[in-house]
Amino acid sequence: MVTASPAKSSRLWDGMSLRQKRVLWAWSFLAVPILFYSVIRFWPTLEAFWLSFTDWNLLRPASFVGLANYIRLVNDPLFWQVFRNTAAYLVIGTPLSLLISFAVAYYLDRVTFMHGFIRALYFLPFLTTAAAMAWVWRWFYQPVPIGVINGFLSSIGIPQQPFLRSVTQALPAILAPAVWAGLGFQVIIFMAGLRAIPSSYYEAARIDGLSEFTILRKITIPLLKPTIVFLVVFSSIGFLRIFDQVYNMTFNDPGGPLNTTKPIVLMIYQTAFKSMEMGYAAAQTVVLFLILLVVSLIQLRVLKDR
Amino acid sequence: MANIALNGLVKKYGSTTAVHGIDLQVKDGEFVVLVGPSGCGKSTTLRMIAGLEDISGGTITIDGRVVNEAEPKDRNIAMVFQNYAIYPHMSVAQNIGFGLYTSKLPEHEKKKRIEETAKILGLEKLLDRRPSQLSGGQRQRVAIGRAMVRNPAAFLFDEPLSNLDAQLRTQMRLEIKKLHQRLGTTIVFVTHDQVEAMTMADRIVVMRDGHILQVGTPMELYENPQDIFTARFIGSPTMNLLPAHLAEKAGRTVAEIDGLEASVAVPADYAKAASGSEVFVGVRPHDLVVGAEAGEGSFALSGAVSVVEPLGPETLVHLDVGGTSIIASAPGKVIPQAGQRVTVHATPGSLYLFDKKTERALCRL
Repeated sequence: MVTASPAKSSRLWDGMSLRQKRVLWAWSFLAVPILFYSVIRFWPTLEAFWLSFTDWNLLRPASFVGLANYIRLVNDPLFWQVFRNTAAYLVIGTPLSLLISFAVAYYLDRVTFMHGFIRALYFLPFLTTAAAMAWVWRWFYQPVPIGVINGFLSSIGIPQQPFLRSVTQALPAILAPAVWAGLGFQVIIFMAGLRAIPSSYYEAARIDGLSEFTILRKITIPLLKPTIVFLVVFSSIGFLRIFDQVYNMTFNDPGGPLNTTKPIVLMIYQTAFKSMEMGYAAAQTVVLFLILLVVSLIQLRVLKDR
Repeated sequence: MANIALNGLVKKYGSTTAVHGIDLQVKDGEFVVLVGPSGCGKSTTLRMIAGLEDISGGTITIDGRVVNEAEPKDRNIAMVFQNYAIYPHMSVAQNIGFGLYTSKLPEHEKKKRIEETAKILGLEKLLDRRPSQLSGGQRQRVAIGRAMVRNPAAFLFDEPLSNLDAQLRTQMRLEIKKLHQRLGTTIVFVTHDQVEAMTMADRIVVMRDGHILQVGTPMELYENPQDIFTARFIGSPTMNLLPAHLAEKAGRTVAEIDGLEASVAVPADYAKAASGSEVFVGVRPHDLVVGAEAGEGSFALSGAVSVVEPLGPETLVHLDVGGTSIIASAPGKVIPQAGQRVTVHATPGSLYLFDKKTERALCRL
């Protein structure tokens, strides 16, 4: 019986059509990542949905509490503060970073002098770890005589700014390096998009007598739409999930001062690993997931071909 | 309507010179084709006329006005590109109307112009379509429409038919020619295809390596090429060139074909013009006929058939003549077998004599 089995299986293999064999091959290769993702990604994700309805805190077994976590969340003033902060990161960060990166890409595309070097300079922050970058920027924001920015401001007669110590300035002060860090990637993607537009489109427009601005508005931007859609969705997800910049720049009081810079992911982190309220953290995660889903779907719907 | 004049036009890219001071007069309403192999400077020349390339030297004059420093839009020309350059995110009507974007015409006038243009080009039913829903030929017509709608003084075409399949190319060739006859606008057309040049042009400009070799009507170029390049470039299949040398034979100058018994008499005046005794005898495949009667003074070659290409109305016969491969033709129904020995005849007056060193044409024989 043992010896008969390979012969039998080879007969089974020979008996299959070419198409069946191909399908079998494909699935045998796909099996590894599918298995990996199921165990590492999808299962914990589903688990999180379940946990959000429990009061699990690592010490005692999880017991079902219904919507209690969600009700608590809705009534938690910190959640709404964090929600506003995250929205601010998204609403300021995405358009600002896209605008700057487009402007850089648009002009860099025309520069031939040291083109590769300049592009590398823009890309460098993308490769740098957020922690290292955040610490450098913290130093920038220090008061005189240490901080570079305040040093510059005082030299032109502007009073010192508190930056990370201020409840109003801290969020923009964190957003700035976050935008800067993502710029390189967006510039590269925008440049690839610009390069893909045939130069004869611009030449035809020049012969038709269109101004630079009209060409930009009527030709370049419409033709860049797929690139823009990709970057809007990609960058929005990035700002909605912002964590490491905030955590590293407000190291002494993460999300401070007075929670004015705290994004959802940091709140989840603190709920889960400081307070050990896994069930409540899971509920926050589910809410974040829903926000990401809704924002992405809205963007895809709005920006898709009309 | 416009005359275009190029005087000593030069284009340099760094240390390389793409166009070496060319002179050309394009008359009002004329259809001029610039033809040559890739890299010969024909597209660069066209782009300089359009104003898309800076001029390194010389002048371009449109209707008596030097336009060297004029913006493309101020030259009153329109250009049609090889890849059509029609915008995928606009409808056919918007694409055609884009040519009028900067014009001060009232909206209803623009609409009328777009509709008229579409009608001339047979696009009136496609005005709401997107370019992706059009065939290659239709896209090309939209590109022409966008150029036409502005009523330019001259059209510039940059290899507009190269992206089309063979059948469509033949059709578009005809359409562009008809359009020219109808509008009477000056056209400068760039192509690398000598058939396009022959079929459409009033005058052909043959270019090579940034120089103009010859300017003339299609038949002038075909009948009297001034050098070997033009002789071989114009006409398909290309002219056969047989290496020969000038010699005295019985008191007359003859060109003896190297390695063969054959020779042709050369008028003494022309023989003197040659830089040495080395020459080429050229003969077009259509003048070298298999099975033709050997007439008075006809030129004969015999060899073994290597390949036969029956085309229907005629047959192209590739012959091996004393180690040189030549192309001859035979009437449609005559199809020799490969390996068969045949004799081909050319009538007097159908041969060309070229100087080997200068590559210039000496005379017809």
